[in-house]
Amino acid sequence: MKVLALIWSDETGWEKLSQEEREDWYSQYRAFAAAADSKLAGGDELAPTRAATTVRVREGETTVTDGPFAETREQLGGYFVLDVDSLEEAAELAAKIPGARHGAVELRPAAEEDAA
Amino acid sequence: MQYVLLIYDTEDAGGREGLMQEYFAYTDDLEASGKLVSSAPLEPSGTARSVRVRDGETSLTDGPYAETKEQLGGYYVVDADTAEEAAEWAAKIPSARFGTIEVRAIMQIPAEARA
Repeated sequence: MKVLALIWSDETGWEKLSQEEREDWYSQYRAFAAAADSKLAGGDELAPTRAATTVRVREGETTVTDGPFAETREQLGGYFVLDVDSLEEAAELAAKIPGARHGAVELRPAAEEDAA
Repeated sequence: MQYVLLIYDTEDAGGREGLMQEYFAYTDDLEASGKLVSSAPLEPSGTARSVRVRDGETSLTDGPYAETKEQLGGYYVVDADTAEEAAEWAAKIPSARFGTIEVRAIMQIPAEARA
């Protein structure tokens, strides 16, 4: 089964880090990705939410507004797509994602009919 | 430049006959344009769990990270030339008429960093 692992963390904390500290986090993410390699089906780091826009269409009119869908204490900063046998395995892997130690990892199973 | 289009909508989508067919048609269009990178519909947020690790202890809680009026129901990753093009694809997602599409730019990471 495919499980989307959404990584929520305080992006203001990230922006305060030095380049060296960021490199350290990136190396931890690389180590996670290398260790979990056969169980990963994808993943991306997202640009900060100040670059987010939201799009709605009502009665044929499109409105685009700045900012993410919801203002939350922590922000969606990236995700992995996990290819696992069970939700338990997904939770074990999620606990190894570096962001789980300071933020939260939300697990969302993909529906069976994968459109991709 | 890649963008993820996050689809937020109410999970009680009663009375929206034909929405799945609209999604199939949209996905076909996106694929035919060569702009589709990946996509997935998600199981309802009732199946969500959130994982946190503090001082080496893992805690698991049921439910999504945030309780919101609309819930994340799926996503598309698209390869668009501009943010405007990404917004145009977002506006064509069937749920844009009922819910909200959040458009988030994906960071360009050097291949060696993806390992």
